[in-house]
Amino acid sequence: MREYFANVKQSFKLKHYVNYIIVLLPLILFTILHYAGALNRSTPTLLVQIGYSMILAVSLNLVVGFLGELSLGHAGFMCVGAYLGSLVCNGLVDKLPLMIVLVIGMIVGGIAAAVFGFIVGLPALRLRGDYLAIVTLAFGEIIRNICKNLEFLGGAKGLETKWYSAFLAARNTAMPLFIPTFLVGLLMLALIQNLIRSKHGRAITAIRDNEIAAKAMGINVTYYKLFVFVISAFFAGMAGVIYAGTASPIQYSFFSYNYSIEILVMVVLGGMGSIRGSILSAALITYINFVLKSNLSGDMAAVKTLVYALILILMVIYKNAPALKPVRERFNLKLLGVAIREKLFKISHDAATVTDDAGEWDEIPTKIITDEVLSTDLALSNYNPDKPDTNNK
Amino acid sequence: MKKVLKKMVAAAMAVTMMATAAFALSSCGKTKNESFKLGVSGPLTGDAASYGQSVQNGAKLAIKHVNAKGGLQLSLSMLDDMGTPEQAAANYDLLYDEGMQLSLGGVTSGAGEAFAKKANVDSILCMTPSGSADRVIDNMDYSFRLCFGDPDQGALAADEIKAKGYAKVGAMYDTSDTYSSGIYDAFKARMEELGIAYVEQSFDKENKTDFTTQAGALADCDVIFMPFYYNEAQLFMKAAVSKGCDGVFFGCDGFDGIASYISDITNKVMYITPFDVNSEEQAVKDFVAAYKAEYNGAEPDQFAADAYDVVMVFAKALEQAGVTDYDLSAKEVSDAVKAVILSADFSYTGLTGNGMKWTADGKCAKAPKIVEFN
Amino acid sequence: MSTLIDGLSLGAIYALIALGYTMVYGIAKMLNFAHGDVIMVGAYTVFTTLMMGNGIWAKILAVVVTVVVCTVLGVCVEKCAYRPLRGASPLAVLITAIGVSYLLQGVAQISFGAKSHPVDFTIKGSVGGINYHTIVTLIVATVIMVSLTLFVNFTRTGRAMVAVSEDRAAAQLMGVNVNRIIMLTFAIGSALAACASLFYLMQIPSVSPTLGSMPGIKAFTAAVIGGIGSIPGAMIGGVVLGVIEKLALSIPVIAPYTTAIEFSFLIIVLLVKPTGLLGKKRREKV
Repeated sequence: MREYFANVKQSFKLKHYVNYIIVLLPLILFTILHYAGALNRSTPTLLVQIGYSMILAVSLNLVVGFLGELSLGHAGFMCVGAYLGSLVCNGLVDKLPLMIVLVIGMIVGGIAAAVFGFIVGLPALRLRGDYLAIVTLAFGEIIRNICKNLEFLGGAKGLETKWYSAFLAARNTAMPLFIPTFLVGLLMLALIQNLIRSKHGRAITAIRDNEIAAKAMGINVTYYKLFVFVISAFFAGMAGVIYAGTASPIQYSFFSYNYSIEILVMVVLGGMGSIRGSILSAALITYINFVLKSNLSGDMAAVKTLVYALILILMVIYKNAPALKPVRERFNLKLLGVAIREKLFKISHDAATVTDDAGEWDEIPTKIITDEVLSTDLALSNYNPDKPDTNNK
Repeated sequence: MKKVLKKMVAAAMAVTMMATAAFALSSCGKTKNESFKLGVSGPLTGDAASYGQSVQNGAKLAIKHVNAKGGLQLSLSMLDDMGTPEQAAANYDLLYDEGMQLSLGGVTSGAGEAFAKKANVDSILCMTPSGSADRVIDNMDYSFRLCFGDPDQGALAADEIKAKGYAKVGAMYDTSDTYSSGIYDAFKARMEELGIAYVEQSFDKENKTDFTTQAGALADCDVIFMPFYYNEAQLFMKAAVSKGCDGVFFGCDGFDGIASYISDITNKVMYITPFDVNSEEQAVKDFVAAYKAEYNGAEPDQFAADAYDVVMVFAKALEQAGVTDYDLSAKEVSDAVKAVILSADFSYTGLTGNGMKWTADGKCAKAPKIVEFN
Repeated sequence: MSTLIDGLSLGAIYALIALGYTMVYGIAKMLNFAHGDVIMVGAYTVFTTLMMGNGIWAKILAVVVTVVVCTVLGVCVEKCAYRPLRGASPLAVLITAIGVSYLLQGVAQISFGAKSHPVDFTIKGSVGGINYHTIVTLIVATVIMVSLTLFVNFTRTGRAMVAVSEDRAAAQLMGVNVNRIIMLTFAIGSALAACASLFYLMQIPSVSPTLGSMPGIKAFTAAVIGGIGSIPGAMIGGVVLGVIEKLALSIPVIAPYTTAIEFSFLIIVLLVKPTGLLGKKRREKV
């Protein structure tokens, strides 16, 4: 039994593809349902919202979780992408097929946002921590303020997106928007996951954990910081174009720092530096919001803010409060899984073999965990890399 | 190591997806309707929440009155969009799934545009009580409005200023607001056409700062054109008066409800409005009394009156069209109502205008009133 | 000239809010995003108190009640929402602060509605073209700032605050009750927010649930311009930001870009001095 399991473990690398599956399964399921005519109107809308929130959360996670810089201006990149991408779409919409226009718009929006990402990344070279956070927030607000006042972007009235109207007119024949959205999500996952797993990803996390040490090891900090900001902004820009496909007009007011914070909430709740966490929490938070919005209508609408706020506070406190650590460990899914497996397969850990690859695709251990692991006395026979601190007691 | 966890996550995902799918499928089932379903999307939270709430109150009061008469039964479903187009578009889908047959569209202009575009594709009639930008009705067969359009008000204001022959004209607008900048753009164009010079000032509602600077710059004007909502307007007036301004404050329909805020101001105030809460007309008096009784003494504003009128227009049109089957599809109901509204002999006299008529481009023809006090 | 006075008066309000931000940041090392909403609660307290009467005594009562309510609120929020997270990552605390901000806005909207209400809290009249309330704002704000500086630098508790902000663990070893000091900081910060809400209402006599968010962010900007964690820095930052805002607003062509100008100024300051005008230089250690 044990050998069998070890063999399976050697050959079976499904766990490296879990993130793709999480995105791909709903895509396939809902595509089938859509073409079977079994979907109502609001489900695809929800799916698109989940799709672009997911792209935003994962791309922000690259900056916040992997590079370790707090960014509060992600909505600003989205704003640039949405406006410029839609301008291009507006120009092309009568000349080319709908989906091709969308793809071109997404590329243009992404590149435009990436340029701004480069500009925002520049101060990141000089500023740290909360100072950088306020600068990113400021950039987001500046971009929004300028978009509000430019005549050719529609001013306060917002930019009319012709792609939206054209898409609506062709609704019965065109591919529903959630399919390209999820495909972009998959593309992004492939890119970011492989980036993180590559030597570049190690360099980025090294900068997060200790910038000076990283510099000393010969990592080009300037290059990597700008690189991360550019990649992250690129995908935020693409998400912006998708957003622009869900509504016309696009208005500057949507892209306020409040929305940046909402994306940050997804990243923090999902776990910093965990791509899977970002995907799941983006889906969960968007879903909660959607359910609250559609069920608490009318006079109850104000309760929505209250419920959302309470859920947020309680979730953060539960996940992070030092005093609740024993409770968390008791109800920890991960440890529960390990415990069940140990009971079932009678597996015991041999401290000499590294059972958990620290170079997992998406979860690079944070500095704290690494420190804990490093300070654990490996001579203890019951050492368990998943529970490093149980040995300290 | 974490395979079990992954299996559990996968299982959880599958369950969630199945639940969602079931939710998606279950709503296909149809039950028998007992009323015509009206849908509306408006801001119930956020900065613009008060407009959405007024529309909700007005529409609900109207439905109560219609239903109380017996015969035609209506019901309303309102969803919160916080004034954003993307949420309004999402709300449209939710309302569509609920079986909305007629719609009051969106309350704010941007949201109204996104909403109406979707509704137009499905041939659901939208009559917005307050989405005054032209893009809310442009190029859409099923989109109508009951309020004045923004450009009309701007041009009208410019003409009025010319007619009154004021010497020094000032204008102030909100750069963050669709409504305000829409009116101001038309005003600016018209003033240039008429060759009248004026002093321009602007503010950004989002900043929530005071108006002393702008008030100082406009204090010596004989008339100040202020196309924005009453809350900012009353603050600006107070600031202007404290800077020694004795000119006329000239506003648009957003001024409605301002009187109670500026009891200590002696300047002349005038504004273009379809609805005057202090009007001596019997219909308005009844409405104000009913509204106050229903909503704890709150005074109705123009949004509430507009929404009330839209529902009443729908009720009248449905009765005239003789539609009585609540299970008709949205397109059938909408087509019937649209045919009646566009027919030559249909007109409606309500709280916000006498003999309102609609044209195929969605505009509402009604004579503007200019209310003055002090 | 009058633009400058207006700017000073607005700047004084920003400075008061920024003081709260900066003290909390300096001592608890967290960005208290809910600070702006404490101002909103303060404004609603004034509104509720003035509903009972409108004489001079009612106004004085309103001042007292507002300061008390805000202080209690600040302490409660600290105790319920932030204290459990002491020692957790700063981002978690940031998200909780945002949650508290949403919560306060939600409560305000449910209790008072989304509509804005007028509040008559101004001191009417003017001397030499300057409103009385502007003068009062400037004088009181200056007094508060000076006494706060004195308090921090010359009292035992104030020194304890500085100690906690320098090194929390070392302060604890020296016998400072860190929890008490942090609570006190929140109390003072919220009381300052209450004062800011009073002056805010003098200039803008209207309350709404979202009243606090933009002044809050602007004040945060001011605190960063001055060097976050520095009390004189917050004052300078607030006043500079207020004057810039009013100057930009007084020129019609660039008035719509006011927000962009203010934030650009922040970025320029930070690019020249990465820790703000009066911020401490940090030495990076390996």
